[in-house]
Amino acid sequence: MKKSDSSEQRSNRKWHLTSEDMWGYAFIAVAMIVFCVFTVYPVFSAFVTSFHKYKPLGSIFVGVENYQNTFTNRLFYKAIWNTLVYTIFTVPFSLCISFVVAVLVLPFKKKVQSLFKSMYYLPAVASGVALSVVWLWIYDPLPTGLLNSLLAKFGLGNVNWLGSSSTAMFSLILMALLAGHGTQIIIYLAALLGVPSSLFEAADLDGATFLQKLWFIVIPLVKPTTLFLLVTGVIGSFQVFMNAYMMTGGGPDNATTMVGLLIFNNAFKYSDYGLACAQALILAVVIALVSLVQFKLMGEDVEY
Amino acid sequence: MTGLYSQHLNRPWLRRMRNAVIAVFLLLLAVATLFPIYYMIVSSFGPPVEAGGASYSLFPSSFSLESYKFFFDFSPYSGRWLLNSLIVGVFTVLGNVIFASLAGYAFAKIRFKGKRFLFFALLSAMMIPYQVTQVPLYMLMVNNLHMDNTYAALVAPTFVTAYNVFLCKQFMSSLPTEIIECAKIEGCNQMQIYWRIILPLSKTVLAVMAILTFMSSWNNFFWPFLMTSKDYMQTIQVGLKTFKFANTTYFAPMMAGATISALPMFILFFSLQKYFLEGVTIGAVKG
Amino acid sequence: MKKFISMVLALAIAAVSLTACGAPTASGGDSASGSASGAEPQTDTITMLLPPVSATYQDQLAVWAKEFNEMYPNLTLEFEKASWEDYKEKLDVQVNAGTPPDIAYVEYDRVGTLADSGLLLDISSMIEKEQLEDFDSNALEFYRLNEGLYGLPIYISVQCLGGNRAMMEQANIDWKSIQKNGWTYEEFRKAIQAGTTDEHYGFIFACAGVTAADYLNIMVKNAGMPAPFDEEMKFAYTSQNFLNLLKCIREIIDDGSTPKEMSSVDAGKRWNMFLTGQTMIFGKGLANFEGLAAANNAKLAANDATAVENSVQADYVVLPVPTFFGQAQQAQGVAGGYSAFRTKKEPDPVHLDNVMKALYFMSSGERAAFTCNELFVSALSESTREAMGKIHNEVPRDPDNAEAMALLTTQVAKPRPDIPAEKSAQATRLLDEVIVPKFQALLAGETTPEQMYEAVKAAAIDTFGADGIVTD
Repeated sequence: MKKSDSSEQRSNRKWHLTSEDMWGYAFIAVAMIVFCVFTVYPVFSAFVTSFHKYKPLGSIFVGVENYQNTFTNRLFYKAIWNTLVYTIFTVPFSLCISFVVAVLVLPFKKKVQSLFKSMYYLPAVASGVALSVVWLWIYDPLPTGLLNSLLAKFGLGNVNWLGSSSTAMFSLILMALLAGHGTQIIIYLAALLGVPSSLFEAADLDGATFLQKLWFIVIPLVKPTTLFLLVTGVIGSFQVFMNAYMMTGGGPDNATTMVGLLIFNNAFKYSDYGLACAQALILAVVIALVSLVQFKLMGEDVEY
Repeated sequence: MTGLYSQHLNRPWLRRMRNAVIAVFLLLLAVATLFPIYYMIVSSFGPPVEAGGASYSLFPSSFSLESYKFFFDFSPYSGRWLLNSLIVGVFTVLGNVIFASLAGYAFAKIRFKGKRFLFFALLSAMMIPYQVTQVPLYMLMVNNLHMDNTYAALVAPTFVTAYNVFLCKQFMSSLPTEIIECAKIEGCNQMQIYWRIILPLSKTVLAVMAILTFMSSWNNFFWPFLMTSKDYMQTIQVGLKTFKFANTTYFAPMMAGATISALPMFILFFSLQKYFLEGVTIGAVKG
Repeated sequence: MKKFISMVLALAIAAVSLTACGAPTASGGDSASGSASGAEPQTDTITMLLPPVSATYQDQLAVWAKEFNEMYPNLTLEFEKASWEDYKEKLDVQVNAGTPPDIAYVEYDRVGTLADSGLLLDISSMIEKEQLEDFDSNALEFYRLNEGLYGLPIYISVQCLGGNRAMMEQANIDWKSIQKNGWTYEEFRKAIQAGTTDEHYGFIFACAGVTAADYLNIMVKNAGMPAPFDEEMKFAYTSQNFLNLLKCIREIIDDGSTPKEMSSVDAGKRWNMFLTGQTMIFGKGLANFEGLAAANNAKLAANDATAVENSVQADYVVLPVPTFFGQAQQAQGVAGGYSAFRTKKEPDPVHLDNVMKALYFMSSGERAAFTCNELFVSALSESTREAMGKIHNEVPRDPDNAEAMALLTTQVAKPRPDIPAEKSAQATRLLDEVIVPKFQALLAGETTPEQMYEAVKAAAIDTFGADGIVTD
């Protein structure tokens, strides 16, 4: 971070733009315009709203009241905690599974590879509503439910999957882990296919084992991809609310209430739009901090 | 690219054994992953009944295409919805493939002032939950620009996404810088480098990006729902949701609709397969 | 790569040509600016946002639009249809953005929140007097807030219980007497114990996720707490009766009359359990279930493969919710109707007048009659009653159920327009964030009635202060 600060200071001193600068700005121009209109403007507007009691015919300025209410709300902390637990159990495991699958698919012929890839990817294209219906059936609480009748075959007792606060979060995590890693697998595969085979040939000459090649060649080279999947995975997980909304509604006893669900409820159920904005901005700051840590831990050496 | 695995040239049976074990493992995982899809397709062949009609059974008890017919009869616009989704999807993919890859390349390999700041600003775009940006965006589109019920309004907010810029940047930053330096010495400008060197090397990731973008555009529900008030401008996902009724659900037609809406994705996926599997031959470029 | 690019380009060109013909039609003629300058009435469009109120309601809209246009040739009704959840979210976004539709379907319990936005119109002085007199005055109460009237009701649906006639007769339960005279919790408990066999449960209530709130809301009314606040505006759910009610609810689970996994039985599952003969009594029950059950019975009788899998002949009986501790029957009634909105712009009087015409048209006569008939509920206005008398139903309605429903409708807990918006919002939040979550835990057997009661009391004191709650 210090390094970049000093380089920025240097660039501030001389205002002159090189042709390299011009190319850079030209290349990012469209992306930045879309970003400014459809992100910066709404976020700025949300920031202003977060200090108001929002009314369509004229909001009332309330200062930091929305922030104060958020920080004194016990449920907000519980939701943050739930979100953290969910993220810690889904994102890293899901990344590992995807990486292992992507590596395991490699030794096959192209035809077989594409077959496996399609099989893993297909669930990602199905509509979320259809999937949640299936999962509700799998988690049917009565002994006739799919998972429960499977457990009964092994002589295990009936579990009230989504209805009990001790298993509800676990059920959501299990669903996230099993319900397709299609996207991550194909992104990993794209990265793996980008590893030049000359590196393996050289390693073979040195008599490297499979695990050595994996550890010293593959993992470092796909690090940018891992960083990408980790950061986007964590961001997605922090904002998750659809599964809790569809499957448990945040219950039982707020065991699956996530921050995303809280913001959604404030914005839509209670029409307390100012509070929703304040909470969303707090969440964004938390995500930004977590992302920065991830970049620090993994990013520095791959960035430049 | 198969260089990661030993070919066991002297003992081919060992290779076959190993591959068989891996295949069994992958298949087991695939079964678990595919189960919801299987269930979706099987139930779509059920009859179009309401309420409690969810047949909780593993195997189809009857086979009928009635639910598909029901879906298309449900609204005179069923076909139009599919077309609308296609149009929106194609433009979103085009915007992202072209402009996200340009921006990704710039962030990965071009040195320009303020790059780090701009990149993190862009990345932070992903960190704001959509629930709060929705109302300002809606006001911008409907109250100020009067763009509701247009394709432009459906495409614009995702024309270039931060996710895709990030994906391209990460992928392109692992391309060797030497190639670019060589090209510069040979007198190529940045556009030529992007077009002749970076794009060919990135087609795998661009194909992946294309399908991911198309999918998220195709499955996007809430934004098209907000932006359309006329039946004929709705997308397939918006139309599909009208199947959900008060206390009852037309279960099989809903699954038929889900299957229909997933079908174009299957087709696109298979037609782009070729690009997914092409390895990058950096050596050839260098030489 | 080239082939890929050319493929994408071809698609793009095809798409551009389509956009070109799609765009002009999209932007044309939806401005509703009628200025009263000319002698000819200006043409005007009235937009409406509507959920699927009853089974074939959304199919009927085109017919009504045509009738309205014949009645007022210069006016056009334009409908926007959406599913239940989606329509609520869209309305919220539109209201927050300051551009709601002219008319939307609004349930009575949303009136407070929507009126708070300032965009919901108080129609009491806008609508013609004789039109207002068409409606039953107690039904209008549901849309009153303080002095204002914020909508016209089309129906009141009573949420109660439903039973399987054959099973109840087998368990020697006199359902006819229960329909007429109601029943106490003790009688109810005995009945569902008698109705629990190896094949089926005595009672089931859908309480998965947020629907747990339904169970609590329905029961608590019959335990002497018709609203979250008593007459003195004190929070009611801290009374001893609340604790005793929780004990009763836990008791019937411990009896084994209802499954201990009831906390995650969802709405679809409970209906499936009724049709497949897995439960004798279930909740929540709605009047139109009679028709759904009859349709499935007809299919079973005709050996139609489209009958619900594993279902059995099941006749639906309307049952009142039992009363607790000698309290009176206070049925849970939900009113649905239409409300009119203004936008951020100063409303134009001619347009408002047109909106009022549409509002009355949609809430009265054959339109409301159609919905009431499909929902198996009684009419709320003179014109609707008259229109309902003319409707002929293919499948005759069960007279006992109709009578029981009519009786329950007269026993619906009165709406409380006197509760201030802020207080009622606080109560809703308390309900959502503390009471319902704790109730879910109670149903799952993870907390005791006493612990839940203490938690609710503590949270209520936090919100309303020690003086703001009922203590007895």
